[in-house]
Amino acid sequence: MATKVHRAAKADARPLPDERLKEILYFLKLARYFDERMEALYRQGRLPGAIYSGRGQEGTHVGVAYALEPGDSLFPTHRDLTAQLTKGLDLKRVMAQFWGRIDGYTRGRDGNSHIGDWYGAKTFTVMSHLPIAYPVAVGAAWAYKRRGEPHVAMAICGDGATSNGRWHEALNWSAVFQLPVVWVVNNNQYAYSTPNEREFPVPTIAERAAAYGMPGVRVDGTYVLEVYEAAKEAVERARQGGGPSLIESVSLRWRGHAGHDPATYVPKDLLERYMAERDPVRTYEEQLLAWGVVTKEDVAELQARIEREFEEGHEFALASPFPEPGDVTKGLWVEDGYWRSEPGRGGGTEAG
Amino acid sequence: MTTATVEAGAAGHGAEPRGKRTEDGQATYLVAIAEALWEEMERDDRVYLLGEDIGVYGGAFKVTEGFLDRFGPDRVIDTPIAEETIVGMAVGSAMEGFRPVAEFQYADFMSSGFDEITTVLARYHYRSGVPLPVVLRGPSGGGVRASSFHSINPEPWFAHAGGIKVICPAFPADAKGLLKSAIRDDNPVMFLEHKWIYRRIKEPVPDDPDALEPISVARVRREGRDVSVITYGAMVHKALEAAEELERAGISAEVVDLRTVYPLDEETVLRSIEKTSRALVVSESYRFVGIGAEVAATIAEKAFEHLDAPVARLSPPNLPVPFSPTLEDAFLPQVADIRTAIERLSAW
Ligand SMILES: Cc1ncc(C[n+]2csc(CCOP(=O)(O)OP(=O)(O)O)c2C)c(N)n1
Repeated sequence: MATKVHRAAKADARPLPDERLKEILYFLKLARYFDERMEALYRQGRLPGAIYSGRGQEGTHVGVAYALEPGDSLFPTHRDLTAQLTKGLDLKRVMAQFWGRIDGYTRGRDGNSHIGDWYGAKTFTVMSHLPIAYPVAVGAAWAYKRRGEPHVAMAICGDGATSNGRWHEALNWSAVFQLPVVWVVNNNQYAYSTPNEREFPVPTIAERAAAYGMPGVRVDGTYVLEVYEAAKEAVERARQGGGPSLIESVSLRWRGHAGHDPATYVPKDLLERYMAERDPVRTYEEQLLAWGVVTKEDVAELQARIEREFEEGHEFALASPFPEPGDVTKGLWVEDGYWRSEPGRGGGTEAG
Repeated sequence: MTTATVEAGAAGHGAEPRGKRTEDGQATYLVAIAEALWEEMERDDRVYLLGEDIGVYGGAFKVTEGFLDRFGPDRVIDTPIAEETIVGMAVGSAMEGFRPVAEFQYADFMSSGFDEITTVLARYHYRSGVPLPVVLRGPSGGGVRASSFHSINPEPWFAHAGGIKVICPAFPADAKGLLKSAIRDDNPVMFLEHKWIYRRIKEPVPDDPDALEPISVARVRREGRDVSVITYGAMVHKALEAAEELERAGISAEVVDLRTVYPLDEETVLRSIEKTSRALVVSESYRFVGIGAEVAATIAEKAFEHLDAPVARLSPPNLPVPFSPTLEDAFLPQVADIRTAIERLSAW
């Protein structure tokens, strides 16, 4: 498959202070470790439900989410848990969610990466239907513009989801109203088993931006700083009143669509090439070592911290109770108050 | 409450190959459905399949595994993720004489094609006289820890649309015979395959490629004297289990499997009530404006003089299907709930 991905031209320039560069490394390595461990637990039959691995796409997820400010909102999909972690989800509550426990963000009402935290990290609670959150991001972005608030909405979806009508509706609308929104497409080259050429007939998704009257760029999703810089530019343009943008970030889905899928339809040499040459976590780690931003010892320490956090999260999840069966009907209506105790929720409705 | 069991990896996706019939001719529901599709494709060149990941991958649950090799890409079409156009394509090609069978990866995603289904497919023939022999099929239902967006029972939405027949089979042989009838039917048919049944239930299935099961004919799955349990889909299996248990306690429950939920076979239902005088309606679709509500209303309206007790209903509340095992188990009618409801009715 021809992917016109390219290395960042400015690979020598450091776009961020060292501390923030290190933080990016933390999120990349956390995502990778979490993904690998959760898959192992799933295979051992110790994790219920489904898993949707984001491995190989960490550069995209961390790069775009890291460009957001706390007041900006994120509208992700099943594949984008790493972006949500970068935006500020608490690992403990994430893990409680995977195990169907009361301390999960959905309080056991949903599982795995169908997660979100509107009142904290400001992320939309993922729904499966693709790309169902794109039109919703239009509404959030409109609200920021209407109130004159300096916030931006960012929505992510996969390459396959761009085939769906609402993707096009959302882009068109956002440009007509010049809304502060950034549209991200995580092009991991496969939509379940369907390759790019069976989803769209144009060479790139980015070029579609022209048809909607907005800027569009295609970036190398395996190089986090390239993704970050493109996202930062789009986010700040939106914040300044410059309207929407489209970012296509290209990488490869290293694992199957979900935990059960061996993905034999992905050519072996393509996968091997990406794993050997385009590993977003290793590439960035080597970059920071070369720049002297971190030492080998720093990296080992970071890894140890991540493993500790994972263990703590796992213990927290397993110690968290299952929801009470008698509470099954609670939380449908605002008035029963079931959700009022959610951190950051502050009782009542935002609007009311 | 930390004792609930969780089924790891049970989100309902089909990891393994579809499998085959056993030596003695038994087939799973999954295999029976594949056989129906295969035989109808062999029989009629106008029949073709379309859907997401159905060709190269063989479908999310492997229903169409091997079909691409046999029938080629003109008859087994991998589509973009575009449900409105999947339905539109089916309708347009049906107008031109094809007989499309569209797969939805999960019945949940039928909502993404809602307008083409409820506006075009359901209403076209009544205003134009142009037949639309379209089958929409997909895995529905819960009980597999797959949560809100992979567990829906959408049959009330589409039964309500008016111009679409809605089939929810519970057994492999019924699934095969009814799907074949659906494909040969000149009207739009929605065929909902309960994913909990796919690999769990196995039975002998006819070989004869012309063995059909009639649409809109219910079937008494178990004879009984005291109470009629009217149900369909996965709940048939739970009802049968409850009836089995109660037999030992001296209560005789009859189980009626609707098989088609729209248009409804009222006659079989009413005949059963005449015999038992007590009705329990169990559905996995929502209670409010659900299939069970309609069946209960029909019984109340047309069999009132035969009833010895008020019609009872068991259905989930109108809520998103929750993920956590404690919540999903509380949400779905369980064997014990059905048993208790039958006992209560039989005490009248
Ligand atoms: C409207 C809709 N149809 C079908 C599905 C089933 N489905 C889940 S993920 C997926 C593939 C998605 O591919 P892509 O958009 O490229 O995202 P990725 O999973 O690769 O991140 C499909 C078809 C869905 N979630 N929503």
